[in-house]
Amino acid sequence: MRSISKRFVGVLALEGVSLELRAGEVLALMGENGAGKSTLMKILSGVHAPDAGEIAVDGRPAAIDGVSAAHRLGIALIHQELLLAPNLDIASNLFLGNELPASTPARGRLLRPVPRARLFTQATRLLARVGLDLSASTPVSRLTAGQMQLCEIAKALGQNARILVMDEPTSSLTAGESEKLFAIIRQLKSEGIGIIYISHRMDEVLDLADRITVLRDGRHVGDLARAEASHDAIVRLMVGRQLSGQYFPERQPTRGEAVLEVRELRVEGAPEGVSFVAHRGEILGFAGLVGSGRTELMQAIFGATPALAGTLQLGGEAFRPLAPRAAIDRGVYLAPEDRKRHGLVLPMSIARNVSLPNIGSYARLGWLHRSEEQRVTALEMKRLNIKAKDQATRVLNLSGGNQQKVVLGKWLAMSPRVLILDEPTRGIDVGAKAEIYRHMAALAEQGVCILMVSSDMEEILGMSDRVIVMHERRIQGELERSELSQHRLAQLMTGQRPSEGAAA
Amino acid sequence: MRREIGIGVALSVLCLGLWVSNSDFLGPSNAINTLRQISMLGIFAIGISFVIITGGIDLSIGSVIGLTGVLIAKMSSPNAPGLGYPLWVGILVGLAAALAIGLAQGLLITRLRLQPFIVTLGGMLLIRGLSQTIVEGGTISLGGSPLLGLANGGVLQLGTDALIPYPMLIFLGTIGIATYVLHFTVFGRYLYAIGGNREAAEYSGIAVQRVETISYVISAGLGGVAGVCYAAYIGQMSQQVGIAYEMYAIAAAVLGGCSLRGGEGTILGIVIGSAMMRVIDNGINMFQLPFVDPDGIPRIWRLNPNWTFIIIGAVILLAVILDQVVHMVQSKRRLRRAASAAAASASPPAAEAKAG
Repeated sequence: MRSISKRFVGVLALEGVSLELRAGEVLALMGENGAGKSTLMKILSGVHAPDAGEIAVDGRPAAIDGVSAAHRLGIALIHQELLLAPNLDIASNLFLGNELPASTPARGRLLRPVPRARLFTQATRLLARVGLDLSASTPVSRLTAGQMQLCEIAKALGQNARILVMDEPTSSLTAGESEKLFAIIRQLKSEGIGIIYISHRMDEVLDLADRITVLRDGRHVGDLARAEASHDAIVRLMVGRQLSGQYFPERQPTRGEAVLEVRELRVEGAPEGVSFVAHRGEILGFAGLVGSGRTELMQAIFGATPALAGTLQLGGEAFRPLAPRAAIDRGVYLAPEDRKRHGLVLPMSIARNVSLPNIGSYARLGWLHRSEEQRVTALEMKRLNIKAKDQATRVLNLSGGNQQKVVLGKWLAMSPRVLILDEPTRGIDVGAKAEIYRHMAALAEQGVCILMVSSDMEEILGMSDRVIVMHERRIQGELERSELSQHRLAQLMTGQRPSEGAAA
Repeated sequence: MRREIGIGVALSVLCLGLWVSNSDFLGPSNAINTLRQISMLGIFAIGISFVIITGGIDLSIGSVIGLTGVLIAKMSSPNAPGLGYPLWVGILVGLAAALAIGLAQGLLITRLRLQPFIVTLGGMLLIRGLSQTIVEGGTISLGGSPLLGLANGGVLQLGTDALIPYPMLIFLGTIGIATYVLHFTVFGRYLYAIGGNREAAEYSGIAVQRVETISYVISAGLGGVAGVCYAAYIGQMSQQVGIAYEMYAIAAAVLGGCSLRGGEGTILGIVIGSAMMRVIDNGINMFQLPFVDPDGIPRIWRLNPNWTFIIIGAVILLAVILDQVVHMVQSKRRLRRAASAAAASASPPAAEAKAG
């Protein structure tokens, strides 16, 4: 790809970006959110057309004017949100849009019968290639996220893809599934397939990539070979300034009295109840693998999915959250993991999102006071440094970091007592991350009790005053800040007993 | 298949019950008439199901039925204000109008990205108004037209009645073609894929807009075919013909297992759903319970025909409620099984840890 430019309404998304991928190579594409990675890849896979620039495949100029044109050139994009039809079986999905052999004449293609038996055999072969032990006739609605990811890869292989673009492929995978994925990526690489790998996870990139290309603000800012790549070097390129790995704010944690006491709280699918105490002014981290039951626990405390058993106490008084309203009324707020689905009403403005959970206090006799709504929103936008044209901007049009700040803003406007942050910085660029960490520290300083669920090891290590490690929906261990180490956390997360770890 | 089997069993029980209460239910005159009614509803219910499976909706199909009939009457009726052209001209004009309406609505929905509900709601009113202006608020009689033989005639003559009325032949043909297209061709697969996950279909290189447009053309086209049958059956065309028929078709599709979210439904289900709608309709007239009143005079108790809509509405609600309850019970059971499996798999490591 040479000198690719793309302009969307009002913004220049890409400016003269060039990129080169060799056969049998893993090229990592990195950059903050909004740096233009996804746009560049959408151009390569035919979803968007570039305004300027050219693309050559195997040295020949290629006109990619649609998804099918990209398919014909052997380019396949594996989207961050998995794109499979849940009502169809695996075989149908693997060959969707690709049911007939290429030799079939274009005329009357649509009315030809689907060769089910042939597709089933081919699908079975593809599933074996990606190491998925499932029948090709399994409906996709029964698959886990990890299995769907592997299906997407199988689908790309079925199109004889020679260029595979993966956009954050591990964001919904468990550690075991990720390992399996990496093995498959290495296998594909050895078969001569070129892979463009987009990820925010530094360790994966350093582990997998042969080369790393970094984008910033729609421009190509640098290439790093594997040998010269390091965590710091990449971050320096991405943000264009030395972060020296220290974007966690300095804090003097003070642990106040107990605010939230959880006793034998049992959620669906858990073998037993969990108990813990969280204090005023404390940032309590929840570490664990994806699927270890942290999100379910938080949803139970917030009342989104009421617990099966157990008791809660808030400030010494009984607390029974049977619905989010009950939690909100007591000052217990949740910034959910999937902020687009559970945290925000995307087509509504910033101001309306901020006032939503507390709409009653902006209204008198059912009449909404817009001026009050605007005043509060302006305050939060300033406090959180939300970058948007104005309050009327639809949340839909904000970057991930700014969306997360709107979620925080709507709760901060209501003076939280307990603030639950589930993956507070997932999919958020480095700059916005540092800002969110600063706000968390400030809130703890003011005495707010913060429960932070995170799968980002650095974040857990950098922000928590105390960490509860969960494994298979139980509390596996608890670590004070002084005992924290990556090694100890990893041991507990993978199911080792605290006593064994201490002995070793 | 669960829905198809469920509704199929319900239909069989219903038919058996009606037959026991009134043996005339399966008598040649009523049975053939019911089959004709099922066929005419089934033809356009299959049409609308193509749209419903993609996740769309077509509210205009009842108006299309009316317009097709009105156009045939206007063009080819020998009676004033008919223009007296040959019958085939009328049928051709009627069907062409139906297909053009489907194409226009499909293009508005896919190219301008308008919501199907709104486009076809506008279409429904507009087309109804067109019918009204064509008949000038009155009726056009098809008396004397050879078309009337289409609804009343048929094959396999049995005394005065034909065992298989022509609309049923058309219905059987429609079932055959629709089954092939929906369940066996690439096009059918695309309809389900679009209904299941539109974005996935787009990213798979499917010409989503084209496939979707065609589904609206099929819906309106089969509406037109049904319109020809209704014109033959009714004989007197006014602007009233076909009002609210789209609701019958949607109800038949939903009873037969279609989801209005798209991606679900089979031709078999829709056929059974259409039959269910018409048998209920007919059953309300046929059902009777003989009893002896306090004075010792034998009497017959019948359902009040004013209850028709109450009963149909209740049946639809009952069907979806049952379906949802079964679904919820199943998923709850699956959750419980997963939980006990998790508990079982979680305990062995603990035991090991103690042993170690």
